[in-house]
Amino acid sequence: MNRVRQFKPEEPWQAPEEEPIVRIENVTKRFGAFYAVDDISLHIHQGEFFSLLGSSGCGKTTLLRMLAGFETPTSGQIFIDGQDVTNIPPYERPVNMMFQSYALFPHMNVADNIAFGLKQEGMAKSERQDRVAELLSLVQIEQLAKRKPHQLSGGQRQRVALARSLAKHPKILLLDEPLGALDKKLREQTQFELVNIQERLGITFVVVTHDQEEAMTMSSRIALMHEGRIEQVDPPRRLYEFPSTRYAASFIGSVNLFDGYVVQQDDDQVLVQCDEADSLLQVRHSQPLVPGMAVTLALRPEKVRVLKDFDEEAPNQLRGQIKEIAYLGDVSIYHVQLPGGKWVQFTQPNVQALAEQPLTWDEEVTLGWSANSCGVLTE
Amino acid sequence: MKLKPGLPPARNLIIAVPWFWLALFFLLPFLFVLKISLSEPTLAQPPYMDLIREIEDGFVTLVINFSNYQLLLEDSLYLSALWGSLKVAGISTLFCLLIGYPMAYAIARSPVHWRLPLLMLIILPFWTSFLIRIYAWIGILKTNGLLNNLLMGMGLIDSPLEIMHTPIAVYIGVVYNYLPFVVLPLYATLIRLDLTLLEAAADLGCRPWKQFLLITLPLSMPGVLAGSMLVFIPVMGEFVIPDLLGGPNTLMLGKLMWTEFFSNKDWPLASSLAALLLVALILPFVLLRHFERRAEEAST
Amino acid sequence: MKKVSSGFKYLFPSLLLTTATLSNAEELHVYNWSDYIAEDTVAQFEQETGIKVIYDVYDSNEVLEAKLLAGRSGYDLAFPTARPFADRHITAGLYQPLNKDKLSNLDNIDPVILQSLADIDAGNQHLVPYMWGTTGIGYNVKKVREILGDEMPLDTWRLVFDPKIVAKLEGCGVSLMDDATEVFIAASAYRGQDTADFSKAAIEAAANTVQAVRPYIRYFHSSQYINDLANGDLCVAHGYSGDVLQARDRASEAGNGVEVAYAVPSEGAVVWTDVMVIPKDAPNPDAAHRFINYLMQPEVIAPITNYVAYANANAAATDLVDEEIRMDPGIYPPAQTREKLIVIKTPAERQLRDMNRSWTRVKTGQ
Repeated sequence: MNRVRQFKPEEPWQAPEEEPIVRIENVTKRFGAFYAVDDISLHIHQGEFFSLLGSSGCGKTTLLRMLAGFETPTSGQIFIDGQDVTNIPPYERPVNMMFQSYALFPHMNVADNIAFGLKQEGMAKSERQDRVAELLSLVQIEQLAKRKPHQLSGGQRQRVALARSLAKHPKILLLDEPLGALDKKLREQTQFELVNIQERLGITFVVVTHDQEEAMTMSSRIALMHEGRIEQVDPPRRLYEFPSTRYAASFIGSVNLFDGYVVQQDDDQVLVQCDEADSLLQVRHSQPLVPGMAVTLALRPEKVRVLKDFDEEAPNQLRGQIKEIAYLGDVSIYHVQLPGGKWVQFTQPNVQALAEQPLTWDEEVTLGWSANSCGVLTE
Repeated sequence: MKLKPGLPPARNLIIAVPWFWLALFFLLPFLFVLKISLSEPTLAQPPYMDLIREIEDGFVTLVINFSNYQLLLEDSLYLSALWGSLKVAGISTLFCLLIGYPMAYAIARSPVHWRLPLLMLIILPFWTSFLIRIYAWIGILKTNGLLNNLLMGMGLIDSPLEIMHTPIAVYIGVVYNYLPFVVLPLYATLIRLDLTLLEAAADLGCRPWKQFLLITLPLSMPGVLAGSMLVFIPVMGEFVIPDLLGGPNTLMLGKLMWTEFFSNKDWPLASSLAALLLVALILPFVLLRHFERRAEEAST
Repeated sequence: MKKVSSGFKYLFPSLLLTTATLSNAEELHVYNWSDYIAEDTVAQFEQETGIKVIYDVYDSNEVLEAKLLAGRSGYDLAFPTARPFADRHITAGLYQPLNKDKLSNLDNIDPVILQSLADIDAGNQHLVPYMWGTTGIGYNVKKVREILGDEMPLDTWRLVFDPKIVAKLEGCGVSLMDDATEVFIAASAYRGQDTADFSKAAIEAAANTVQAVRPYIRYFHSSQYINDLANGDLCVAHGYSGDVLQARDRASEAGNGVEVAYAVPSEGAVVWTDVMVIPKDAPNPDAAHRFINYLMQPEVIAPITNYVAYANANAAATDLVDEEIRMDPGIYPPAQTREKLIVIKTPAERQLRDMNRSWTRVKTGQ
């Protein structure tokens, strides 16, 4: 997770007076007895690259389809640019969508596909041609204008789909797994292009993805969804470093979780007794907590360091035995078992090639971390 | 028979099977018909002359007679019959499409568990003999038949409608009988249609009826074409339906062939009619294919 | 020459193809018009002889002819109409000569009828007459009298060929047979022309006669009129004697107040004879002879006439026929009517084709 995008403008979601471009108010979508989307409220602001992240069946696609107008909420309201669009059909909404399958019209060539929306709004032919040429050059496929979709590669089709969805200058562009059909290498390259285009045009993007890496790389903010609800909405870095729920912590990256209870809180320093680790853990947390309250601490494996000495009195120190080592190339993952049986994992960068591994199986190690490295989950 | 030389023998064999089938059951009989069409009628068994005749001991001569074709092209009766068949086939195909398309569309868009029963409803009547179904139409359409009795009973008409033995009865019989041949291929194309294409069109500002015109209809053209061919071609040579439901003034090639073959015992002329009908049917498709190919080449 | 009502011809599968030989018993393949034999005729023959009869039916001479011309029909016995069909079949060599030693009952056949066939079958070598009848006019007595008045004679072709009269009858319904030979000969008789003239000019003249009344003709059909006459849906029909009489009986059975009558036009009407023949390539001609001889017994053929309401050619059987049928002038016409009957002359092949093509043109309005 080393390429988290730096969002340049002032963070708009910190300005409550500004009207968000998308306002989702208590939206629920029920299919029979199944709640695909369960009472979601969400604000998305002009110029954001907003991701709906979650595993399949979490409701992210249903939410996107409600924004496009393909599904009508069972209850709740959706506003786009201040207008209530809850019951407005898709062909009258100021949004466009790029479909996961691209949904290119197979009987039309690339230029006609791109011009389709413009033709529908009755744009004059010459103007249309200029706009199509502009879009073709934006996605760099000028030479493909006369091809039919079946004559294009996957990457080329993706560009046509993007150009087509941008043609009508939508207020919001909805993208359903925009990179899902591409192979890994092409995906990484396309991520940056997508971000560049979004920044250049200043259009708000709402992206559905199941790929956390993709979401982390491109998004200004991510809404993590689970079972029809939103677990957490935050910029990527905050979502990673300070997950607010167990699900959020474990969905993105790996995490060690320590269940315990609050012993005491001095200013922002909290002491937590963790029985399963048989240890006292210290963590920084600004929100007030009541002693005795059950909390869970989340610790990323890369925040853990191997200490030379074990100080039984110091907080955030654990001893255990290395049971498993997984070599991943850039890092290795170590699984350590504590005397009480609990597993803790940590990673170490592989600094030297072919060097003798500093740590090996069955070795006793002392693990430690700083109080700033840990997150507190209250749910 | 065109076999690709580089292919493994097993694949050659697989390609050879349909070719062999076509040659045995289509080409060979057609050659027989062609042969008879080039001979002269005679009162004998069989009622046509051999092309190769012995004139003297050991001397044979080949007599090819094109006068049958000449008669077909010169006598307006046969061209009128061709026109009559074209008209009936064309109008029937059009009505089959107009009725069959909405049916196929409705079935393809109905809930999954409804589709099979609905398709069965289309197919089920065809488990009854073709003739029984046509006779049933006679019972419905005749002067004191079901339809007239119903309409007169409801007071909608005063005197019975003359439908039986008119072109309308032929159209009803043909459309009824060939409808499944349109519905099934149309259903097959419509069910394969990617519905996200319609969502994409809607998303780009296209209203439902325009979605149908711009997306569904053009993409279902293969089904429309297949269905049309399955109706048009057999109706061109249709004999039984016009014979049973139509009046004697229904002039179609099938009936004319019957007259030439049975009443006139003119097998050569009947054969040349059959050969001409085949050419008239195949030629448009060969031309269509040719132009399609040229259009394809032009686009790439 | 008779036809079944509507086109049930398509419904009869060829029994020949499906009948497997169950035993080694001798087989006889008979091909006859539908409804042209009594119910127990075949069973009785089988019982008497032990020959298994495979009985198949057709409903037009053309279908029989096509099978015979194609060859290897597999039939041992068939019942074509003498003129023009059996006539040209003899020319084409489709039949084998009969072995008269095996036809001991031949003496029962009416010598007048046998003589009438001699010109197409010299020495009566190939044909034995079976049944005969006429082609005339069937009409709805009450309705036609209502329109034409009581004075007008009804035994005339004017009922179907005089444009002034047919125009009056149009609303009531007039039909002609869908048969070129029958219609053209009737048209020639109506105009007092030679009914044996099939020259181009004669055909054209006959076609013009039909053309003149075509607008008033409801339909051209060779069996539809049976039902329509009986129901009162049709006033005048050109048709076979037996079929019109069938319509008459149906109407009186239904008790619907419709009275149908049959008339042999005074200008002359076609008389036809259906004959028994043995195809040249018959598999079992011996059994065929036995069947012909069986049918020539008066006590066999009389019940058939009673059943099918056509006159048989068996002089010895006339007294055995039910009186009701024997006295019916439509079935057994009186002598003065017989004098007016027209024996069809077989047209040359080219003339036949000219006639049929001309007929197709006329009835389809080309």
